[in-house]
Amino acid sequence: MKGNTGKIVNVDLTASQVMVETLPEEYYRKYIGGSGLAAKLFWERGDIKADPLSPEAMLLFMNGPFAGLRLSGASRNSVAGCSPLTGHWGDSSCGGFFAPELRYAGFDGLILTGKAAKPSLLLIVDDKITFEDAGDYWGKGTEEVTQALKTKYGKDYRTLVIGPAAEHLVRYTMILNDGHHATGRAGFGAVMGAKNLKAIVIKATKKEMVLADQAAFDVLRKDLNVRIKEAVASNVLHENGTAANLMGGVYSGDVPVKNWTSNFWEESADALTGSTLTDNYLTRRGACAYCGIACKRYVEVKDGPFAIPDGPGPEYETIVAFGTLIGSIDLAATCKAGRICNDLGLDSISAGGTIAWAMEAFERGDLTLEDTGGIALTWGDMDTVIDRILPIISRREGKLGDLLADGSVAAAKKIGKGLDYTVHCKGLEAPMHDPRGGGHGMALTYAMSPRGACHVADPMLFVEMGARYYPEIGFDFMLEPKTGENKAEAAVMAVALGAIENSACFCQFADAEVTIPDWLVLFNTVAGYGWKAEDMMAAGRRVFFLKRLINYRYGLTSADDCLTPRMLEPGKDGEADGSQVDLAPMKARFYELMDIDPVSGIPTPAAMAALDMADEAKQVG
Amino acid sequence: MEFWKDETEPIKAFLALFEAAAADPELFEGLKKVNQLIWFDYTESGPNCSFYIDCRGGELKYSAGKPADTPDLVMSLSADDAHRSWSDKLNPVMAITRKKIRVKGSATGLLKLAPKLKKVAAIYMKVLKDLGWEDKIIK
Repeated sequence: MKGNTGKIVNVDLTASQVMVETLPEEYYRKYIGGSGLAAKLFWERGDIKADPLSPEAMLLFMNGPFAGLRLSGASRNSVAGCSPLTGHWGDSSCGGFFAPELRYAGFDGLILTGKAAKPSLLLIVDDKITFEDAGDYWGKGTEEVTQALKTKYGKDYRTLVIGPAAEHLVRYTMILNDGHHATGRAGFGAVMGAKNLKAIVIKATKKEMVLADQAAFDVLRKDLNVRIKEAVASNVLHENGTAANLMGGVYSGDVPVKNWTSNFWEESADALTGSTLTDNYLTRRGACAYCGIACKRYVEVKDGPFAIPDGPGPEYETIVAFGTLIGSIDLAATCKAGRICNDLGLDSISAGGTIAWAMEAFERGDLTLEDTGGIALTWGDMDTVIDRILPIISRREGKLGDLLADGSVAAAKKIGKGLDYTVHCKGLEAPMHDPRGGGHGMALTYAMSPRGACHVADPMLFVEMGARYYPEIGFDFMLEPKTGENKAEAAVMAVALGAIENSACFCQFADAEVTIPDWLVLFNTVAGYGWKAEDMMAAGRRVFFLKRLINYRYGLTSADDCLTPRMLEPGKDGEADGSQVDLAPMKARFYELMDIDPVSGIPTPAAMAALDMADEAKQVG
Repeated sequence: MEFWKDETEPIKAFLALFEAAAADPELFEGLKKVNQLIWFDYTESGPNCSFYIDCRGGELKYSAGKPADTPDLVMSLSADDAHRSWSDKLNPVMAITRKKIRVKGSATGLLKLAPKLKKVAAIYMKVLKDLGWEDKIIK
């Protein structure tokens, strides 16, 4: 096999056994890698009846075909399985340094099942895989554990660590790579916690990779690395991080305020935007493996109530989730909240979204002081958020901690109030882009995304901005963001492109510079597929369909391709005032164009047959 | 050129725009925050078709031609697309993606101005009227 190693490791934590398995090349050709290959393996092997926090649950770590190949943005990895937050298919992408190391060790992925008898860590040194005691690390924060592991094994050992929140099975917990890079969404930290697996530590000395055409790949790799580094967007991201254009988002109405009750808070534009972070708190910039953009931040808040030492800084999502979304424009507080989330192992998007919901519930009287254990939940009260709410969530402590540890949807259901002002799709709290301001097409793709409301499942956010253009495949849309016009047409291509990105594990910021011909050269020189554009797009669509088939097995149908009443209200204030998403016609048109059954929500047999998915069609009945 | 008789017209219009923008307190403050020397290079529409603004050091200067100092940012496009852009009729992100606008240097300063483009466009409409070029206004 060319490009990919072709090998994955099956890890049985109950039996402390590992088994290396060679996968058929066809799997890669059809499902690429990353979240696509994970979906294929989950489709074949996943136990749909298994509770995601049970030993039977399967947790998959999958690389893309370009991991470790010294190409900017192309060394991410996917983590996938049944999400403990949503109860259906979930996947989450992470940058950092794990993927190249796994590839250098000779593997494309790990599949974890079972449950260790005691807190453990998985140590991978090349092809030697052992189970180590992690009792000393259990209960400790990711920062301390990451440092301890690097002290014990070596700074060049790469780490994946969960925090105390994952040990307490909080359903929106992350897995942190090297103390900075988060597999944030869908709650897979808790799956590791349920398996008694505190960490994975990896070091590889081999770097054997056999590509289909190394010389041709190197020519494009060098060219792309220059183009990616010099692109306008990369330059902006490098200088001011992923929040570089937060100011623009504020004025367009994309940045949600107070649990999506408003689309405009003018003062937040200056207070929270990336250049303010740079000017006030940045100490240095950082990058994922081989990336020339370097959008990561290190920050220090030297004094004041939210002082924190030099360390990883917040990205856009965290800045908004612990900023305007919960009624604050205190950037120092956001920095500290992000740091605390990292240490506890909480996904800052779902944490911020759940707290925002709780604050609105408290304001409305749907949550009382009796429900909260005497804690007043007040917009913008960052002291309480940081010192009380996040810690009790992470320990499931008291009524409030336990209530909020399962996410906003479960909390609303539990109290029997407030479901109408949750902000999610399929149980996943929405990211910090409000489609009423950012673009109605994003509302459609939030609703269609198999894992739930997601801005990185596909490039729709960038498409509506005008930042994507692929004339070779007819992707030539000039869209007006605040309408539904041509959004279904654009979404059809966007979901396929997104599936390709997330299966190839390529960063959305970096791959903006990758043209369709570039993509083809990458796949063909690395893996030797001999693909034309239609083959690649078919693979993307196949991956999208397969994830929907998995969800169908979980009982999801077209009825679940929906948004909450709050998200469908007219926008309020600023440029998005009155902007209202009309989801139904976009959804109907999308189904029609994709040949998806409007009742079941899965592709028709003909659509599956056209994508060489006859076996899947048979299995789904 | 679609909108201009010759290469002097667009520069006359754009310099008048910046003169008017500098008189607006909000835009003046916004421009100062950009804190860059920017060369607007429209030479694809004529060899002398360019101007620059210098917002460094809390001041605002602007003049026709290429600046003597090395600019922090160069924006290269046609004079027609510049007209569309100042009229808020050209999505700058889309134009950059489609290579209608080529950017060299740091665009972070300009991001601070992006939310003000509607106001800039309104001033530009008035400038065009004052110059007797109402026919150039894009409906």
